[in-house]
Amino acid sequence: MLEIRDLEVRYGGITALRGLSIDVREGETVLLVGANGAGKSSTINAVIGLVRPARGTIRLDGMDITAVACERRARLGIGYSPEGRRVFPTMTVVENVLSGAFGMGRRHQRQALDWLVSVFPFLAERASQPAGQLSGGQQQLVAIARAMCSQPRLLLLDEPFLGLAPIWVRQISEAIREMQRRGTTILMTEQMARPALKLATRGYVMRGGEVRREGTVAEIRDSALAEEYL
Amino acid sequence: MHEFLTAGIIGISLGAQYALLALGFTLIFGILGVINFAHGGFYALGGYVAYAAVSQLGLPFPLAVLAAVIVTAALGALYERFLIERLVDDHLATMMLTLGLYLVISTGLLAVFGPQSPEFSFPVKGTLRAGTLYLPLENLVVLAVCAAAIGGLWLLIYRTDFGRALRALADDRKVAMTQGMRPGLLFPLAFGLATGLAGLTGALVTPILALSPSAGDPVLVTSFLTVILGGLGSITGAVVAAIIVGFVEAYASVYLGGSAGALILFVTVLVILLARPTGLFGREIRGA
Repeated sequence: MLEIRDLEVRYGGITALRGLSIDVREGETVLLVGANGAGKSSTINAVIGLVRPARGTIRLDGMDITAVACERRARLGIGYSPEGRRVFPTMTVVENVLSGAFGMGRRHQRQALDWLVSVFPFLAERASQPAGQLSGGQQQLVAIARAMCSQPRLLLLDEPFLGLAPIWVRQISEAIREMQRRGTTILMTEQMARPALKLATRGYVMRGGEVRREGTVAEIRDSALAEEYL
Repeated sequence: MHEFLTAGIIGISLGAQYALLALGFTLIFGILGVINFAHGGFYALGGYVAYAAVSQLGLPFPLAVLAAVIVTAALGALYERFLIERLVDDHLATMMLTLGLYLVISTGLLAVFGPQSPEFSFPVKGTLRAGTLYLPLENLVVLAVCAAAIGGLWLLIYRTDFGRALRALADDRKVAMTQGMRPGLLFPLAFGLATGLAGLTGALVTPILALSPSAGDPVLVTSFLTVILGGLGSITGAVVAAIIVGFVEAYASVYLGGSAGALILFVTVLVILLARPTGLFGREIRGA
């Protein structure tokens, strides 16, 4: 479904990704593991279109989207939950969630909201509260619900468990499983790989903007390189 | 007592006008992070478009007002799309661009219509008698139109996908883009909406006050003062502050005379800002 080939991303004089190649097949949950600065978020940002690669290609279902504008990628079926939550702080919980299905019509939005509330009753309890007033875990759940609201074919999750208490890690893991049950393809990054590996089907270990190892969850878990992240 | 009540009605009417102007001003700042120095220019332009539509084209006043809204909104949207959008993150550049546009509009109006104030009067005259109260009809009409416009704007911003998208872009532009929101389309629409509100106010109010190429000068000052008092970027703040400014102006001019009114207004704003430097409802909407 997603093919990344020979991707190079630079920020000024710093090279964040060096010839990265990754495949994500339909229905898979692929995990990018690595320390800070390994290039995980740069990969996600390149796929969603927040950074423009200096070299390489990104294909979604065979279509070259490398030069497609960021705001058009959501319409192609890519959902995105950013690192650090980044909910819209002045908007209510419901408004945040609905913004994930911008321009998709009231009927779709209503159906998606009903589904998300059935998965996360918390959304109904806090419906009209400004998202900026929620705890970190609650904000992360809102950010993921926002990404799920468009019912994307490819879901990008950048560090979904970062800095969260175990109770929120469990809830967010359940949200990811719900998307997996619906057949959504997922590409996620995580420094703390242990909970993420329970959800993934395959993984890549990254260091210095390159893939150092790839394989099944068992292979990644056994990898000496991965040890420092587990 | 009835003098007090009549001044109150005029104060609310003034407040509603200032609210429309301040809402446009604060929308542009809140969403784009741009301080629009051309806001007063769009007010004057709205007045002249309505005047030309009535006097040259023979249109009825309501259609002339509509024409003023369309022209000022379209000009604002095009200006944002083709000039401001290119430099939207450079605050000094956008300041110069909007200041330059104001000079172009005011000198353009001067060149086309001359320095004299044209004969342009509000089509509804007379007073409404309610017991011992005499209420100017023109103020009541302006109040009703402004209140309807403010209500419509509130619904647009808080109850539609379009409004949600504008607020999301104001909160975090990059993340909003990843959700499919297009600043290249939405920013010009927001700018046009704001300048259209200034044009609407100009078309409604200049026949009551005065129409001249420099009619926008005091409007810019009042809009700026109102949004600072309400808190830059705050929609609720702009409306509350506008009503305060309207009341202060109306009561001070009735009981203390016009120039004392302006002094009281500035002192009031100064005292409030000393107590609350971010304004009444102030918070940073977008890192500017």
